[in-house]
Amino acid sequence: MNKATNVGIAGVGTTKYSDHMVVAPSLFLAVTTIPYLSQISYVGLEGLFFSYYIDGNQTLSTYANSSFSSRKKHVWYKQPVDNQTGKLYGEPVTSHSFNVVNTSWFQVALNHSWGYSSLENGWNNGGEPLFLTSVSLLGKGVIAMGVPVKRLTDRLGGIINLYGGSLSLVTMDGKLLLNGIPNTKFIYANGTIFLQFMWPNGFKNFPCSNDTPETYKLDIDGKEYNVRCSTVEISGVQSVCYPNYSFFLVFAVFAASSINEFWFSVIPLVFFVSSMITNAQREICLHDKLIKQMEATQQAERKSMNKSLALVGASHDIRAALAGITGFIDLCLANAAPGSDFETYLKQMSLCAQDLLGLLNSILDTSKIEAGMMNLEEQEFNLADLIEHVVDLYHPVGMIKGVDVVLDPCDGSIIKLSQVKGDRGKLVQILSNILSNAVKYTVEGHVCVRAWVGKPDFETKILASTRKGLGKYMSSLFSGKNDGNSDIKAVSAVRQNRDSVEIVFEVDDTGKGIPKEKQKSVFENYVQVKETAAGQVGTGLGLGIVQSLVRLMGGEIGIVDKEFGEKGTCFRFNVFLTAFEIQGDAMYGGTNSSFAIRNCSPKLGICTPSPKLDGSQVVLFMQNIERRRVSQKFLESLGISVLVVDHCHHFPSALKKIQSKLNSLLNSSRRSDMSCRSDISSSSSKEMPLSAMEGTEHKLPFNRRKDTPSFILLVIDVNAESFSELWRVVAEFRRGLHSTCCKVIWLDKPTSPCIDPKRLNPDDEILLQPFHGSRLHRVIKLLSEFGNLSQGLSSSSESSKHPYGKTRLRHTQCNDEIQGYVSSSNERYSKQGSSSPTLEPTRGRLKSKRKNKDGAESSNGEKPLIGKRILIAEDNKMLSILAITTATQLGADVEHCENGNEAFELVCDGLKAQRNYDYILMDCEMLPMNGYEATRRIRIEEERYGVRIPIIALTAHTSGTEAMEAGMDAHLNKPLKTNELIEVIESIETKE
Amino acid sequence: MDLVQLQRQFVDYRTSLYHEGFLDEQFTQLQELQDENNPDFVVEVVSLFFEDSERLLNELARALEQQSIDYKRIDAHVHQLKGSSSSIGAQRVQKVCIAFRNYCEEQNVEGCLNCLQQVRHEYSLVKTKLESLFQLEQQILTAGGSIPM
Repeated sequence: MNKATNVGIAGVGTTKYSDHMVVAPSLFLAVTTIPYLSQISYVGLEGLFFSYYIDGNQTLSTYANSSFSSRKKHVWYKQPVDNQTGKLYGEPVTSHSFNVVNTSWFQVALNHSWGYSSLENGWNNGGEPLFLTSVSLLGKGVIAMGVPVKRLTDRLGGIINLYGGSLSLVTMDGKLLLNGIPNTKFIYANGTIFLQFMWPNGFKNFPCSNDTPETYKLDIDGKEYNVRCSTVEISGVQSVCYPNYSFFLVFAVFAASSINEFWFSVIPLVFFVSSMITNAQREICLHDKLIKQMEATQQAERKSMNKSLALVGASHDIRAALAGITGFIDLCLANAAPGSDFETYLKQMSLCAQDLLGLLNSILDTSKIEAGMMNLEEQEFNLADLIEHVVDLYHPVGMIKGVDVVLDPCDGSIIKLSQVKGDRGKLVQILSNILSNAVKYTVEGHVCVRAWVGKPDFETKILASTRKGLGKYMSSLFSGKNDGNSDIKAVSAVRQNRDSVEIVFEVDDTGKGIPKEKQKSVFENYVQVKETAAGQVGTGLGLGIVQSLVRLMGGEIGIVDKEFGEKGTCFRFNVFLTAFEIQGDAMYGGTNSSFAIRNCSPKLGICTPSPKLDGSQVVLFMQNIERRRVSQKFLESLGISVLVVDHCHHFPSALKKIQSKLNSLLNSSRRSDMSCRSDISSSSSKEMPLSAMEGTEHKLPFNRRKDTPSFILLVIDVNAESFSELWRVVAEFRRGLHSTCCKVIWLDKPTSPCIDPKRLNPDDEILLQPFHGSRLHRVIKLLSEFGNLSQGLSSSSESSKHPYGKTRLRHTQCNDEIQGYVSSSNERYSKQGSSSPTLEPTRGRLKSKRKNKDGAESSNGEKPLIGKRILIAEDNKMLSILAITTATQLGADVEHCENGNEAFELVCDGLKAQRNYDYILMDCEMLPMNGYEATRRIRIEEERYGVRIPIIALTAHTSGTEAMEAGMDAHLNKPLKTNELIEVIESIETKE
Repeated sequence: MDLVQLQRQFVDYRTSLYHEGFLDEQFTQLQELQDENNPDFVVEVVSLFFEDSERLLNELARALEQQSIDYKRIDAHVHQLKGSSSSIGAQRVQKVCIAFRNYCEEQNVEGCLNCLQQVRHEYSLVKTKLESLFQLEQQILTAGGSIPM
């Protein structure tokens, strides 16, 4: 009741209509929980009236915005109520009004602090009599609860065995509640109740006393009756505590046929009364519990609120500290020498700080996610790069523990996809969270990350559409109750997009694994699986966030069941991203390669080899099984013949086999087909896993087509064996080769390089682990089918972002120390540079430059414009300097002007003086006169002299049609390039 | 710092500029044009580029602030910027310019403003990079060395 009082007062304070909403829930709670209660009303002195009552099976509500409001006419409304929620529905109907405030029970109850009970008529249709218990709320209003009289009389009349007796109930003021005794009536006179027995020949009155039960003996028609009057207390709430005050008395009269049965008939009444008391007590207990429950809930809410506030406060402090760190890093960066290791480390630190900030935000986001308020920030990014970046982040972490983190390109569909649009940050968060878990819980073996583009599946489409419909339906059904609702909406929204592609990820580790029964709970917040988490730190928040994020991106995450006997856990999740154009040749540039990739349908598993393949043999020697398997699978899917070596013992013999095969092929190229086949299958049966053998089988027809592998690529993991031993084996293999080109890729650890670059062949390359992603693609590009041999790794890596060059710098530095950096002369430096791989591009450039200069000295071929007069018309200062210098370097005698007018005048002067320009380089867009106009004028002018000066247009447009129409002879794209200028001039000269 | 190390750092830094796409082979061409007769050629051209770009960027900003935007004018500016950036090989600036012109054609104010932001960003990036490259070059020269090609 306490709660109701609180709320009631809140309602009494104002007279607003909407205050019903404040009182109503409490009233509804009471009407649904208190037994027998059929009507409950709140009457406020200030005009608020609200009541629930039960009419038959229907709960109804009656309310008014004024209960008495100083004699004014007031209207009562009646409206049906939802039995479950207590909410009103339907149209309110005006009903008969009733001045509650004027009733005696209201006044009495209002003025007595302990409540009042009376017999009143209810609000329902029949005006059913009720026992009404009313309690004042601090004198400002009254709560009245009604229990129907019928409930009592039914119980007394139907259930209680009176043993042949009869029972009548009458209130103290003479209202008859139950008349069970035949031929009787009650008469109320002067505050006393008389029971009147009527016979055909007369009547007799018995007074019923208020205080003491009296028993009368009656003899009717020879039968003896006992009549006894006694008072019954029908109690309300307060009567338990104050039995003397608010009694509501009913005389129970009964007649029994014999004295002996008298006692029996009293007991049920007592029982009933006591049951009423018990009910009241139960009601109190219920309320008590309810209040406690509410307090507990409020406390929990407060606690949660405090926690959030503390988190916000803490995050503010953490942010401040982080901002400090990043600020100081930036300061250091400003002072760091560009390009130094120091700068690199600082940049890494800065990145880490950024990550930390992101993490902090994500923790704060957890609550947002829970409330369904998290939004996706869409941006364009390269998916393949992103995955590789994340995997590379965890590779060093894994290497320290001896766990290899492998990126499986699967069917290559991710590479083809390249540009996608989606929430990059959240995807990184998901991937790195799962990956870091995998690395954390894996002690030995490997962690494999797979990603592929999900096939557009009929089933999922249907699922998506039905889910969408279902979602709507469900949201109307369980408004606000269904937690999954927002997820479902999000899912349908994400999946609705037509361009969206499904990307499936798998992170497969060989760690301890998660027990089956715990697999569901790992996605709950703050859960760590005890058995495996021993000694591991963490909040247990990770996978919960991950699941929310995955769902936000329209996907689902789960744990894939592993085969019996396989160790570890495999998480699989899918997300939906928006795809841009699918590019096949983005990674390989070469036309053959794209052809091969495109034809490599993952469904068929068989590749159509490119028609022009001249065949390369790749030998993979790697220690880690998974990486070996993945690399082999991918290379073979591209149609490359792969031989894998798993152990250093097999390495020399494998190389020998290739060697002998090559030699035999060279000797008799005609019968190569069969021997090639048997050779490979015999070697593979020993050393390749079963799946690899199947792969080889597919490739064989293609192997047969060529006579010899034209190019052998050895990919050697240096960690498998000591470098010098491997080097010896490779050197021996090389000696045995005659004409076939052989290149070696040495895979080195980034942390502790153990390769001596001095001993390497000039063609060999050092590549840092991990050997996957862009590094793998770079190696593939080396193959003749997928690029050209002339390009080294260093030059092909120009487009990639990997710090490959930097690590190589370290080697040369070591080199430097050994070979003596004392020499400061440039010659020495450049010599050394040419022997070390770092300066390979430099060397190349140096060479070309030198060639240029040497050529100029020896012949005029390199300075083709010597003695030529060239006019350059260009208004942009920078571009003109560029053009002038270019032409001057080619030996020309250059004059410059800034617009078409000047150019025209200079040409005219030249024509007059018989000193014509040999060529004119004309910018097209100049002010006040543009190049086209100037050309037209020059053409007219020079005709008079019978000459035609070649005019070359300089445009930024790709097509030179306008220039040609204006009478120019050729056009060059800006910026001016030396070789292009020479080519154009040469072509003009040959025309002439 | 020791000269050899400086030179190495220079080469490395320059390579990184190519790797990260700030510069393309046009810059190489530019460097090849520099010789004894014209020792400051690259610096000269590049500083002209800076001047040019800053002027153009300012004008672009001003043009985009106008009530009625003169897209033809903007297009001309961007065209110039594209030309000058491509002639020093600042390919990232050049690439944004291409997108910029597309938006200009569509008369998309949002896109133009966005591109202006980007082109500014790319410009300031390449400017800092080039300045530190020249700084390194200067250091080498003051230390008595020559610039490794």
